Amino acid sequence: MKRTICAVLLFCGLLALGAELMELRGQTPPPATKKVSAIQVIMIHSDEIKLPAEFQVALYEDLIQQLQKQGGFQHVYRDGDRDAASATDLVVLHSTVRGFKKGSEMKRNVTTVAGKTSIDVHCQFMDKDGKTLLEHDLNGKVAFFGANLRATYDFAKKAAKLAHDNFAAPKAS
Amino acid sequence: MVLRSMRNATIAIFWIVGPMVLPSAAQQPAAGNSAVQVIGLTGVKQKTKGTLALEGGDLQFKYSKTKADVPLKTIEDVVTDLDSERVFRGTVGTLTMFAPYGSGRFLSLFRTKIDTLTIKYRDEGGALHGAIFTMSLGKAEPFKKEMLAGGARTTIPIQDHPASTDAKPDAAKEKKP
Repeated sequence: MKRTICAVLLFCGLLALGAELMELRGQTPPPATKKVSAIQVIMIHSDEIKLPAEFQVALYEDLIQQLQKQGGFQHVYRDGDRDAASATDLVVLHSTVRGFKKGSEMKRNVTTVAGKTSIDVHCQFMDKDGKTLLEHDLNGKVAFFGANLRATYDFAKKAAKLAHDNFAAPKAS
Repeated sequence: MVLRSMRNATIAIFWIVGPMVLPSAAQQPAAGNSAVQVIGLTGVKQKTKGTLALEGGDLQFKYSKTKADVPLKTIEDVVTDLDSERVFRGTVGTLTMFAPYGSGRFLSLFRTKIDTLTIKYRDEGGALHGAIFTMSLGKAEPFKKEMLAGGARTTIPIQDHPASTDAKPDAAKEKKP
């Protein structure tokens, strides 16, 4: 009887330990990033991957819109904006497309499981001097509802959240 | 009796669905380039319907009594492409997805081909903007030509004789024995 209780307790203990370890593994170490008041978005590059122009523009415009919507930055500068030069604390976001699969909206609607559109983008946050502050791979996809371009919106939301979490200055209370 | 009721049901379906399918071609006004601004123009909401025109050296998007202008000289790139969209779009389109017996999936097979027109331009501050428009099939390429004539630039030049690209050169043709 005692042996059974011990075995059950040991099992429970191991389960709790496992859960704790899983939780710790899920947590990413807090990045050593700085808080800035302005961000500049550089036009999306796709040197290795042939990306249609509408996807490139949609990625760029969605990204800017989402960064403005998320808040946390006083200024969101576009590529080539001359005003960005005068910004003292600025982070520059370079995005490079690493993978692109154009799906089919019709296939998605008809089959539910096929026709997914997916874009893999490597995001690199740099300071004004060109020093890399943070690098991250993000994915944008549309699996069921919406047109193919909706994948760019999905990416933009994730990228804006990443930028906000790591670089946006906390709101003054 | 059964055949008659089936015939009546078919007529009823066409009566309901027909006007929703056919207007995709009929809705296009004869004059001007009706277009939908997908994203990008400053101050214009996404998926705004309007008219694209070239006036006084500007690309002009007119919508609900207002307009957005982009000087053609500031346009760095004009690219056209082909795409397709559902005939049943918007709220109706979403609702049809929940229609019973897979009829929503069936309705999503009805699609119209469209042209996309993508532009990249810079504002007075040097900031890069992009905008995407969709137009009815076959309208984007002539419009791009007009834009290029007006001073816009492109990275993909227009081919004057697109048909000639399909024709194989004589040397490439296989000789029959």
